[in-house]
Amino acid sequence: MATAQEQPRGEVWSLSSRLNTKREYESVTVLRPDTNKPQITELINRMRKMFGEFGGTLLKIDSWGMRVLAYPIAKQRKGIYLYWRFLGGSDIVAEFERLMKLSDRVIRVLSFKVDGDVDPDARPSEVTEELLDAVSEPGPDPDELARQAAEAEAARRAEEEAAAAVARRHDDDDDDDDSGRDDDDDDDSEEYE
Amino acid sequence: MSEERERGASSRRKRFAALADKNLVIDYKNPQLLKNFLTDRGKVVPARISTLSARQQRQLTKAIKRARMLALLPYTSG
Repeated sequence: MATAQEQPRGEVWSLSSRLNTKREYESVTVLRPDTNKPQITELINRMRKMFGEFGGTLLKIDSWGMRVLAYPIAKQRKGIYLYWRFLGGSDIVAEFERLMKLSDRVIRVLSFKVDGDVDPDARPSEVTEELLDAVSEPGPDPDELARQAAEAEAARRAEEEAAAAVARRHDDDDDDDDSGRDDDDDDDSEEYE
Repeated sequence: MSEERERGASSRRKRFAALADKNLVIDYKNPQLLKNFLTDRGKVVPARISTLSARQQRQLTKAIKRARMLALLPYTSG
């Protein structure tokens, strides 16, 4: 009987799967919030190299940006989420997770099988250099965004209040003729003079 | 007494009326949707209340547990 060591890399080792097919996996990784762009690029390149060695294909990679974690992980309150989708054999997830855990930037890795019996030729990779460059961006800090939103909201409210105050003053000016509320300002001033 | 309990449940079910659709796609990557099926303490709402089918409820608990592992949803809150 064949042992694991004798299995060639990158194959699906299952009697129920069709020959020359791969499995499709998806994986979400959470990186430390202080990870910068070159570090993310390096991580992605390391993974692509591994995919080459293990006969896998990186189908898609997506950045969910920096998010606030529902609970702290490794003393971090925020994390940068990366979503990976790839084809490979039975051994690819173990290798993927092993490499991820070796990296000191990664605080969480979770992988799932999406589909079996996938013909690798029928699934071209959507990965391009621009895409890789775009996903390497750590993304804006959610705290910063919240602060900006709060500021914008405060500014909007202040403006509204100012407008309301002006309108109120205007109403006071022309007490009785509400219906013809928009005589021109000159008239009003004349009235008072 | 059981009638009374029924009435209580039916009013609690109301907030799921719009969500519990046959074609609802339940996925761990959509924590905003899953949040609707958590109580304010972070527990999974029972099928009795959420009005999801048995199959959907199974998908839901699985999705919630996955999302929790990724810190997209809390294990406990409140």
